[in-house]
Amino acid sequence: MSESEPTATEARRLAEESRNRVRFEEEALELSDQVYRVARRLVGSREEAEDLMQEAYARAFRSWHQYQPGTNLRAWLLRILTNLNIDRGRRTQRSPDLQPLEEGDYFLYNRLESTLPDENPDEERVIERLSQNAVVDALADVPHDFRDVVVLVDIGEFSYADAAQILDIPVGTVMSRLHRGRRVLKKNLADKAVTA
Amino acid sequence: MGCGCDDCEALMQPYIDGILSDDEVREAQEHLAACPPCEKRFRFEVSLRHFVRVAASEPISEELRAKLVGLRTTEV
Repeated sequence: MSESEPTATEARRLAEESRNRVRFEEEALELSDQVYRVARRLVGSREEAEDLMQEAYARAFRSWHQYQPGTNLRAWLLRILTNLNIDRGRRTQRSPDLQPLEEGDYFLYNRLESTLPDENPDEERVIERLSQNAVVDALADVPHDFRDVVVLVDIGEFSYADAAQILDIPVGTVMSRLHRGRRVLKKNLADKAVTA
Repeated sequence: MGCGCDDCEALMQPYIDGILSDDEVREAQEHLAACPPCEKRFRFEVSLRHFVRVAASEPISEELRAKLVGLRTTEV
């Protein structure tokens, strides 16, 4: 046998690697809808989200061997995507200093309830004071460091640990940003809902 | 608010996130069962979380899906 000819073992290994790669790409594509739903809310426009998705998938397909089978593929894809988003220079400007938020968790509820004439309305009726557009706008107005965490946990339904890994920040930071981000979101919702 | 229970408010988000200890979950459940205003706000918080998730979800377009399939490096 000449040296350039692969041995039978080598041929089997290559065949297996090729099957794994096909499977990896199929699994990544099956997750594209779920990845997009998160990506769309991480950035301001649909065009940006679509560009970012293509860049992220191209990179994922190139770096597929870095993915460890059995780990969370959706989280791995979103980690690539958030890194690309950061590379685009999004974080060159710092978040503006935030106004203190003294309102507690019930602020939004109390605000919405006060717009209803009933004495003690059903909570479903209270929620109906919000529109889909109000949610999208209120979320977009949350400063990005906080928004990333809220989007990953509340929309992507990632665990704190996964969100920490995706954003490369400690779990404690995920928790504090989540707490803050949800409060800002509710305050924004309260502002939008009442004027709507 | 009916009860002025700051502890309850502080526990509510972690409770919905499912990260409380068993003891804390018991404490939260006992409190909610005994305090209708908090129970109602708890239901509101759960509904709000769901509402935000659904309202903010935009499906992927068929065009983008096709473009991603086009990025494959392997033949089908």
